[in-house]
Amino acid sequence: MSTDESTDNDEPRHPYETDESFHPMGKEWEDQMREELEETDYDADLGMEMAKDAQRLVAGEISEKEFYQSYHDDVQEEFEVDDRPLFEDLDGVDPSDFDDDQSMFEALKDIDLEADDVSRRDMMKKMGAGAAFLTYGAYATQQNGRSDEVPQLVENLQTKEKNREHRWGMVIDLERCDGCLSCVSGCINENGTSTGANWMYVFAYVNEDTDQANFLVRPCQHCSNAPCEKVCPVRARHTREKDGLVLTNYETCIGCRYCQVACPYGVNYFQWGEPDTDLSELEHLEMRPEKVRSMDFDERKEALQTAAEDGDHIYDERGWWTDSRPPTGVMGKCTMCPSRQDDHTESPQGTVACQDACDEAGMSAIHFGDLEDEDSRPNRYLRKRSENVEENDRHFNDEDVVEGEDPDMWESTTNWGRLSSFKLLEDLNTQPNITYLGNEPGPNDKQVDPAEIREDPEKLDTPVSYEDLTGQDRWGNQVVDNRKEHLDYGPSGPPEEEA
Amino acid sequence: MATQNKEPGPDDILRPILNTSKWYYVAFGAASAVVVVFLAAWSYQLENGLIVTNLGDWGSGGGVTWGMYIGAFIWWVGIAHGGIILSAAVRLFGMDKYQPVARMAELLTLGALSMAGMYIVIHTGRPDRLVLSVIPSYPWTVQSSPLAWDITVITLYFVMTATYLGLTLRYDIYRLRDRLPDHFDLLYRFILIGYSEKEDKIIERMVWWLALGIIVMAPLLLHGGVIPWLFSVLPSMPGWSGAIQGPQFLTIALTSAISGVIILSYVCRWAYDWQHVFTDEMFRGLTKWLGLFGLLFVWLQLQQIINGVFAADVAAEQVMVAKLEQPVYIIAMGTMVVVLGYIFAQALDKRVFSLNRSLVASIAVLYATLSEKILFVVEGLQYPQFDLYANVPGTYIPSPVELASLAGTLALCTLFFLVIIKLFPVVELHAVEGHDDGDGGGDGGDEEVTA
Ligand code: SF4
Ligand code: SF4
Ligand code: SF4
Repeated sequence: MSTDESTDNDEPRHPYETDESFHPMGKEWEDQMREELEETDYDADLGMEMAKDAQRLVAGEISEKEFYQSYHDDVQEEFEVDDRPLFEDLDGVDPSDFDDDQSMFEALKDIDLEADDVSRRDMMKKMGAGAAFLTYGAYATQQNGRSDEVPQLVENLQTKEKNREHRWGMVIDLERCDGCLSCVSGCINENGTSTGANWMYVFAYVNEDTDQANFLVRPCQHCSNAPCEKVCPVRARHTREKDGLVLTNYETCIGCRYCQVACPYGVNYFQWGEPDTDLSELEHLEMRPEKVRSMDFDERKEALQTAAEDGDHIYDERGWWTDSRPPTGVMGKCTMCPSRQDDHTESPQGTVACQDACDEAGMSAIHFGDLEDEDSRPNRYLRKRSENVEENDRHFNDEDVVEGEDPDMWESTTNWGRLSSFKLLEDLNTQPNITYLGNEPGPNDKQVDPAEIREDPEKLDTPVSYEDLTGQDRWGNQVVDNRKEHLDYGPSGPPEEEA
Repeated sequence: MATQNKEPGPDDILRPILNTSKWYYVAFGAASAVVVVFLAAWSYQLENGLIVTNLGDWGSGGGVTWGMYIGAFIWWVGIAHGGIILSAAVRLFGMDKYQPVARMAELLTLGALSMAGMYIVIHTGRPDRLVLSVIPSYPWTVQSSPLAWDITVITLYFVMTATYLGLTLRYDIYRLRDRLPDHFDLLYRFILIGYSEKEDKIIERMVWWLALGIIVMAPLLLHGGVIPWLFSVLPSMPGWSGAIQGPQFLTIALTSAISGVIILSYVCRWAYDWQHVFTDEMFRGLTKWLGLFGLLFVWLQLQQIINGVFAADVAAEQVMVAKLEQPVYIIAMGTMVVVLGYIFAQALDKRVFSLNRSLVASIAVLYATLSEKILFVVEGLQYPQFDLYANVPGTYIPSPVELASLAGTLALCTLFFLVIIKLFPVVELHAVEGHDDGDGGGDGGDEEVTA
């Protein structure tokens, strides 16, 4: 069976069907389905036809039996099989369950199509294209039956998965951090951020009960379900589809600061006044952003790579101005260094400036990389660390086994062995891409006030204060902890002797 | 007041257009001067950026991100939304006693909405990009961003109110045309395009339906929904989140709007000898309504306080305790209690009522709602869920530039009224015609008229 335009006229139309598209999620979605199907070795027309009828099935216009009968032969021919192994390999779906009173769509619904860690592309490979055709039907079922669970932004649903190549994130080992602030300085050096806009912020906090000091290393969490992105009235704050970086388009942001309000972590820093680092120091391309965007991909890549020799890294590969410090009146925050991830700079893809600085300082607490990639640095680090912990456990077990006691009771219960790990404010469903190793701050814990430490260095043994970092980056920018005190000087800045 | 028994007529409502007293010039001059100061402050901000405000970054930054601009924004939107609900209620339920202030409430809506819109512009870091950034992304952002919803309803209500006003104006202008000054002829001709007396009946129906629409949508699209959602949907700010914000915002809107209408009518009555148009009786009625909505406002505050201090979680309790210790809040709530005391005393005993007292009560209420709104914004941001930072809660006191914006918008709104009052009648012809039937001014005329 192949698509035949004329049949459209005779068939009853699905309620969602418009001239443009049969799919409730619209033409764009439909085109994308086709594109994906065409990438497989199977018949895309057949797939589209099946998906379309799946819509009718969902609307109750045809029965499952009819639906199945009409495709039986086609499916057999296409996949050269007798036993319709559509669901081979799929966990939780048994082809033999598949009869009139057991809905296959019900079964398909059980597959977690929106699971973050499985891309649709992978799923298709795993399932075989035939099942993938039906999966589109399942999307339709989902759309109908539980419409509230389908993400509102169709665009997000499709593109995020479709073009996703990486999912950048970090594993930060707080047990290795001693508060040297090298990463903070490294970030300022890379991005030229203004005084007090500490995109990377490291601070000591004490636990009320134990008086034990811990450090928290706090970049932007690059949430997979970022509230800051949802609230932006102009889509300046967005998630880059290719790799999940949450970025701000510095050219469209209107400076309403709603993202800053909605972010639960307080990682945003608005550019209240003139930036400390002049644009002429950051950019040598001498092109308007529109010009950069209008180039084709290769041309742009070349131009940006050339510019990187001058230290430029303000455009990402789309030609969007999202990197380095923001201009006046625009929101900034940790970017996870997109120009590096696009391979425009001398520094390799998969690295960030704060991690480099931390490594250089000999601490290696920050581990940046592709969280989807088993062999990326953060994943390898996690494995290694949990092995070490298990090793210790075993050691401990061997010595301490008591007769009659189940030695397995020491078996780890968390994902990474007994390694204590956490994500910040996970309850809020932001799905952060930073995983911490170490102690999670409790509800009554509080940062040790840096102002107090300055007055009384005995109070806490921190090697460096923010003020000490002044002038250490290549821009010679002033660094402070409490930005408000600095902003209070107004547009003319602090009096000379203090600067 | 001897003049109160006089029958109001078209002469009365034309007086502001035809006569100009020295007070008019004084008011105009004073308001313009304040506007000039405000514009100077705003240009200073445009030149240097929002660093001229006392706002800052919450988190390690030690400030708050939103402050007086957003507080004043929701206050103005509240007045606007309350105003339109008031006028719609008068039309829908045939509350003839308040018909003289219906148009005033509509004008207040237009003025206040403009000020709210202006605050969006003042508030943003890049007002130059507003149009070019908002419009292209609108199809997407309208699905997820409460700020985009706000812009939508502000525009929607501006259009609805203007339509409403335009429709009822045609009737008046057609009948009073010969007596209106000729130098605005073009304006009047524009308003009257295609008018014929036959349309009056239809217009009356249309206005009724529009009023119904406004009342029905009020809880969702106005201050009961879209505006509070800006805050209430964010779980990371315990001072804001929660379903009570809808009703709370709505009561504040109505309280503020009634106060605004009382103040405006008081001034007009004083300036144009309108004792028989805006009767004592009407003011008493408005004062009672102010009491009712004021009571709801205070009641919902109490609900929040109890929920915030009785076994609440850490963050929710912190913000509530801070609020209760905040002098600004104590003064605002104290003011409300005193005002409510007056209103209930005057309801019990007529002799307690006086026009001046109601005026003072209205001004006090507007002060209380404004300070409550600003505090709501600021304290919400000062006490986030994630309060590990030493610089949380951040500090904030409005800067002179921010304060200038408040004075400036108040003055602009005054100017708006001073201009409007010269262009067309701010009291409907219907309202003064109605009195010809002989039921004007008297007691209890409104209850039996409900449709
Ligand atoms: S941490 Fe905040 S700014 Fe970063 S992605 Fe998450 S919500 Fe957005
Ligand atoms: S400040 Fe900019 S990025 Fe943030 S929500 Fe507003 S427009 Fe979007
Ligand atoms: S990832 Fe890049 S932008 Fe973020 S803190 Fe590190 S250096 Fe700064």
